[in-house]
Amino acid sequence: MTLQQEATETAGGAEPPAGTESQVREPAPSRRRRLERALFVLPAFSFQLTWGWYPLLMAFVISFTNARVRGPIEFTGLESYERMWSDPLVAEAFRVTAIYAVLSIGLTFFIPIFVAILLMEMPKRHIRWMMLLWFIPLSGIASTLLFRYMFNAQYGLFQWIATEVLGLEPQPFLNSSDQVLFWLVFPGILFFGPGLIYMATLQGIPASYYEAAEIEGAGFWRKMWTISLPRLRPVISMLLIFAVIGSTQVFEYPMIMTGGGPGGASRTVVMYLYELLQNLRYADATALGVFLFIGTMLLVIIQRRFFREDPDA
Amino acid sequence: MLFPRVGRKQPMLRIAWWAVVAFLCLGIALHLFPFYFMLVSSFKSGEEVLAFPPTFWPQDPSFAGWKLVFQIVQGSAGQLLDAPLWLFFWNSVQITFWVLVIGIPITSMAAYANSKLQRGPMARWSFLFFIGTLMMPAALTLIPNFLLTRNFPFALPNAPNIPGTDTAFPTFPIWDTHWAVIFPICFQAFNFLLFKGFFDTIPDSVIQAARVDGGSEFNIFRRIVLPMSVPVYAVTIWTAFSLAWDQFLWPLVVLQTPERMPMSVELYLLMERIVQSGGTSAEAAAAEAEVMQDMLGGGLSWNGLMVLAILQSLPVFIAFIVCREYLLRGIRLRGLK
Repeated sequence: MTLQQEATETAGGAEPPAGTESQVREPAPSRRRRLERALFVLPAFSFQLTWGWYPLLMAFVISFTNARVRGPIEFTGLESYERMWSDPLVAEAFRVTAIYAVLSIGLTFFIPIFVAILLMEMPKRHIRWMMLLWFIPLSGIASTLLFRYMFNAQYGLFQWIATEVLGLEPQPFLNSSDQVLFWLVFPGILFFGPGLIYMATLQGIPASYYEAAEIEGAGFWRKMWTISLPRLRPVISMLLIFAVIGSTQVFEYPMIMTGGGPGGASRTVVMYLYELLQNLRYADATALGVFLFIGTMLLVIIQRRFFREDPDA
Repeated sequence: MLFPRVGRKQPMLRIAWWAVVAFLCLGIALHLFPFYFMLVSSFKSGEEVLAFPPTFWPQDPSFAGWKLVFQIVQGSAGQLLDAPLWLFFWNSVQITFWVLVIGIPITSMAAYANSKLQRGPMARWSFLFFIGTLMMPAALTLIPNFLLTRNFPFALPNAPNIPGTDTAFPTFPIWDTHWAVIFPICFQAFNFLLFKGFFDTIPDSVIQAARVDGGSEFNIFRRIVLPMSVPVYAVTIWTAFSLAWDQFLWPLVVLQTPERMPMSVELYLLMERIVQSGGTSAEAAAAEAEVMQDMLGGGLSWNGLMVLAILQSLPVFIAFIVCREYLLRGIRLRGLK
């Protein structure tokens, strides 16, 4: 099946059949059918309840207590919040996380969008292998390990690029508290997973839109701005939310590459939370999690305001 | 389609076209370079990986790294690891297997029910119930989830007492078992979204027709919807696979016994040990353990770690290659609606 055919097929299928709900009135389902329907949802429902919503609720409960390993648990009000609020390490961790999130979204979020748009321009028979090579993934752990090696200040590949290719002074890379957050973004650059989602969405745009635009005299940028990007908007909006949530929770890159160093310059919120957990300060760690939750939610709300309109709505 | 269909022979358009091609090919080269470097480094000797400037082709290709890793795999590496390496690999395989076997069917069935069987406010609320946790940072639920594995079903440090007595409620701790790693990621809200997006595009008439023919809901799902939905299964299996295979923070939190760790965590622990014992500094410092000294003297360094990184990546590659044909056809997302 060619991509062209697929595109029309997806486009045809993607439009919800208008008015089916009102036209076709189903008879009231029998008891057997109702039971069957419940059984479809039940396993996922119980998993989502037990491991999704219940811990979420308990997070707020625990943060108001003095939860610890032994001894009875008492409600202590905002005590753990106050402790976390006045902890200078928390402020530092939030600063580090915010800088990392800005760098990581700025450097990694927008590239896949444009790569996906440009890849769709390639001849049909070439799209497939180019896409494979652009989006081929590496294990996250392996990638982080590799970048730790390449960033070594004594013999790393990046040191060679800095000194021999670019002719700079030897750089400290991960050993410098000013640079470390920038370099931490790099292992994540290899992951273009979202690009596949963009490509799949672009495929669903009927070719006739572009043809019509062309007849009207629209050029390259104009078509991208008025057709491709608006069509991608709901997906971009969604993936941006995930990118924000994901980058504010970064853990494995700093953990593997620097262990939080030098001197806490790359200790992110989740790393600090992990340290608190290891010190068995459950209530404090949960309160920190609530702070992170509030911060992320604020960002998400702001983001939703910007992306409110939807071309298909 | 951004480029016009007619008039492609114009010089300006040609230049622009080739610029795009060059950009894409350059990106591919940059993207593949880390893979190449990883592979090449694994064939270098212990001294060469620590040499500056780094070499782009092994000067005397050696299998030292691979041989040393196979010693670790068989468990003859003494104190470097707590168990033979294949055990950690096997742990990862087991965890991933159960996540897929439990997670994919339950997620797809719930998404199908939400897309085709439920109507009106019921459908809306159950949709929110299933994807609502997607917006919550996992860091928030880390501690309660951890406590929940310790005292299932209580997400508290200690189970409360049965009212009126001094004895605590019985609990079923699954902490420090593989189930503690498997259960929390069985249901993945993002996969639910992928399934829902796909099932929404299946016309209702197909299912209505089958219903008129008298199929039970489960049979309709199995015989009609399932064969139509292979692409979305491929996509979700791939995302669930990479998530479960590469988990890092959660196993680090809930697993204690060294023999139960998955490969991802063990890779990190091994690296820490090698780095601390001086195996990656230019002057190979003496390690405490004799065997370890042998290993480092024998050239275990980044070359060995690169071998392990390749081993850790291989399953992800294979999953990607196997699913590649379906990836584009299986994704039909329409945002968070």
